[in-house]
Amino acid sequence: MSEPLLRTEGLTRHFRVGKLLSRQMLHAVDDVNLTIGRGEIVALVGESGSGKSTIARLLARVYKPTKGEIYFEGRPISRIRWRKERLAYSSDVPMVFQDPYSSINPAYRVAHGIARAIRLHRRGLGGAGRRDELQRVLDAVGLVPPSAAARKFPYELSGGQRQRVGFAQALAFRPKLIIADEPVSMLDVSIRIGILNLMTELREREGVSFLYITHDVASARYIADRVLVMYAGHLVEEGPTEDLIQRPKHPYTQLLLSAVPDPRAALGISETTDVGEPPKVVDPKEGCRFRARCPYAIARCEAETPLLRELGTRRLAACHVAEADDRLDVPVAAGLEQR
Amino acid sequence: MTIQSVTATADAATTAPGPGPPIAEARRGFGADLWRAVARNRKAMAGVVLLLFFLVLAVFPGQLAPDDPTAEIFLPGLGPSSQHWFGTTAYGQDVLSQLIWGTRQSVVIALAVGGLATAIAVLVGVSAAYLGGVADGVLSLITDVILVIPIFPLIIVIAAYEKNAGLFTLVVVLGALGWSYGARQLRSQTLSLRTRDFLEAARVRGERKFYVIVFEILPTMTSLIVASFLGAALYAVLFAAGLQFIGLGDPNSQSWGTMLYWAENNEALGANMVLWAIMPGVCVALLGAAFALLNYAFDEISNPALRLRRLDITGTRTRPDTGTVAAPVASERILEVRGLSVAYATDDGPVVAVDRVDFDLARGEFLGIVGESGCGKSTLMYAIARLLGPPFSGEITDGQIIFRGRDMVTLAERQLRHIRWREFSVVMQSAMNALNPVLTIEAQMRDACKAHSNMSSKEILERSTEVLRLVSIDPIHLHSYPHQLSGGMRQRAMIAMALLFTPELVIMDEPTSALDVVAQRSLMVQIKELQERLGFAVIFVTHDMSLVSHFSDRLLVMYAAQVAEFGKTRQIFETPRHPYTRALLDAFPSIHGPKVHLTGIPGAPPDLARPPEGCRFAPRCPHATPRFCSAEPPLFDVEGDLVRCFLYENGTVPETAVDTVVTASEGVA
Repeated sequence: MSEPLLRTEGLTRHFRVGKLLSRQMLHAVDDVNLTIGRGEIVALVGESGSGKSTIARLLARVYKPTKGEIYFEGRPISRIRWRKERLAYSSDVPMVFQDPYSSINPAYRVAHGIARAIRLHRRGLGGAGRRDELQRVLDAVGLVPPSAAARKFPYELSGGQRQRVGFAQALAFRPKLIIADEPVSMLDVSIRIGILNLMTELREREGVSFLYITHDVASARYIADRVLVMYAGHLVEEGPTEDLIQRPKHPYTQLLLSAVPDPRAALGISETTDVGEPPKVVDPKEGCRFRARCPYAIARCEAETPLLRELGTRRLAACHVAEADDRLDVPVAAGLEQR
Repeated sequence: MTIQSVTATADAATTAPGPGPPIAEARRGFGADLWRAVARNRKAMAGVVLLLFFLVLAVFPGQLAPDDPTAEIFLPGLGPSSQHWFGTTAYGQDVLSQLIWGTRQSVVIALAVGGLATAIAVLVGVSAAYLGGVADGVLSLITDVILVIPIFPLIIVIAAYEKNAGLFTLVVVLGALGWSYGARQLRSQTLSLRTRDFLEAARVRGERKFYVIVFEILPTMTSLIVASFLGAALYAVLFAAGLQFIGLGDPNSQSWGTMLYWAENNEALGANMVLWAIMPGVCVALLGAAFALLNYAFDEISNPALRLRRLDITGTRTRPDTGTVAAPVASERILEVRGLSVAYATDDGPVVAVDRVDFDLARGEFLGIVGESGCGKSTLMYAIARLLGPPFSGEITDGQIIFRGRDMVTLAERQLRHIRWREFSVVMQSAMNALNPVLTIEAQMRDACKAHSNMSSKEILERSTEVLRLVSIDPIHLHSYPHQLSGGMRQRAMIAMALLFTPELVIMDEPTSALDVVAQRSLMVQIKELQERLGFAVIFVTHDMSLVSHFSDRLLVMYAAQVAEFGKTRQIFETPRHPYTRALLDAFPSIHGPKVHLTGIPGAPPDLARPPEGCRFAPRCPHATPRFCSAEPPLFDVEGDLVRCFLYENGTVPETAVDTVVTASEGVA
């Protein structure tokens, strides 16, 4: 297999927590190996506090990794020294933020962020070229007519339109990979689909890859080719979207799937509901981090951290039970009918 | 049935809503907008006029002053006369001419010190906050030291050292000492901005620090910077006059302070020269007032929420007909909402955010209210809880809210206090904003109990422990602060507080929208369990229809301020009748069944200031015909479901509406 667009090796980020002089370390991301191919949409799924957003910020070079390396087109990004290289990377891998109400500067018109991106990263363009490019990206994200949209202030736009501005800003870089950190979770359910469709369209038309970060498995299923599931700083499961959703192997993936509200499903709140939360992983000891919430936990989960292992074609899971016992390999939605 | 029981206020009437060009098209330049805002604001107008008056005096004293201010050519100590409006000084100079010439120095000092102090404040405050770490430590220390230095004695020392301090010395000294207050404010404002995503976006984009500070941060703080400038200018005028008055200025300069100094030395107040002593003070006060007025006005203009607008509800409150309400599931109604309309006063006229809504609620019922942002669902909640009022500037213009036999619309605030929290309570959208960050959970529970009852401390503690246990939070967290709890726990703590008095009704406004899917699910299950155990009724407002699908008894779908569909939840999910309801149901992907391409709902909800004629959903509706645009559809009763759609005019289900999406069908739990 040829070199993927982006690859991480043992990506780790710890934060110091607690009072002054404390030596406690919060393990936000631990030993994550992931790959994103060209033109691929990869979904990174997990609850709040699972470390998804830390990964986004590591890939966008907002944080430096504590350990590990990120390879972009085969080159390690820790080697980046010069401003020119930094700019080149940030234009290849831009980010779209979660909160469209805070990610656009309220003091400027919509055109500002896009124009700055073009000016910083596409120095070859003249004034007319820059204007054309501004029109092109606004048009590409469906803000029409672009000339009118560019003159608006953020407060004149709805949440969905603001998020489109976020994508237009990212497109202005001519990116190869857009990191979208929960781009729809602050939007009304009724307009989320528009943003999801936009991402698929951009992949098709512009050939951009996406890392789509979300806590909503249903939306991941809608757009992603591959799904990575994250829990408490670890990748716990990985696989092609449809296969993973129909046959989840890790109990945590099953929990995530069971939490998706589905009005078309049978009525009744039958399942015993999990009221746990992802732990804050401070100076962790050996053992599976999900074991306290896991209905299948065994003694070995206490003693040994499960590693991601191949379980079936292109499927990886980090679970002792799933590894030992294929009985877990049944659809979690067994109780729900299949249409 | 006609609406508009609202008439516009005088200034809103000029821009009454109606079909016309969209606002964006009619947009003027920034300058014109600012002028319009100033012209509308009385404080701004007064401030501008006063400041202009002094500016003209400062620029053209030679042309405006009747006499040479220094020439001692008149009789000393004259009273006011037509020749000398404010009399003459003990040295035979014209007081009016001195006042006019003295304006220049005060204005120059005000503007120069304002500019200097603001520049330093911006530089220090913003850099400190943005750079953080050691730079912040050092800069904040300097700021704090300057802030606690007793300025007046220090200035006296400096001024005494620099004999007969001239204009330049005054500006430098006042400027160098007057920036610390502004710097503190700018620093804290920048700190709150630092986590905003647009700054992170600029960094990720590759902007340099200098660019981020000057071009990304500063423009968002215009109002604070202007306030800091006006504040510093005000302080400079007062201090300069004070210094000169006690003789620390140049006694030969032309200024109001110097005039006061000479007037005092000649005991002007005791003699016939009262105006010599009073008028400079009046001028200082007026110039100061100009700056203060501008400061207030700028605040109001840049933050419209501070402006209070009133609706003129002279329209008659018509009693609505009550025939359109479906019978509740159980027999006993605790809430009846009849023809409720709520309007907001805006610059563009009244906007009706809730338009003749009828519904009722039985004891122990769970009602879901669903709709997109801006459809009026939150306004409806606030109206029922009677929480409309500043800064929400919305008012109930029509209708009744009968809660356990009393019409809430007519109750006074004092009467409401006995009902709120004890009989109904409200859970807000964001627990982090609704909880006080500097008080422990226990303290906040205590405050709620004290405000609404005479419980003893012991009883309060017992009850607090009890309600926390109800929502499965360890009572140990009574001593926790909100930030120490996770998002899900904060929402549960909010619900615990809402249950302190075991109310009959709990109103919940999107309590789960800040939570992830797993936390959302567990909170919903918990709410349902509590409700079944304690028997309170719930009104649950959400934009996510699927969320309430398994929990609510009945569902009310709102669109553009009106009820679009209202019926039993299960029935609506199985056979959604209104095209909008159907579109909402089809708007989100599922994890079950084949993967299908979804298109969402085309277009956007209408601007409530100019709702479309006829059916409000028609512009986005695949079934709309010209007939739908001519008249507003009433609510049709279709097998117990109320549907505002002409497709059901004859009670029949049209062919096009049969393509229902639901196949799952199991008994109602």
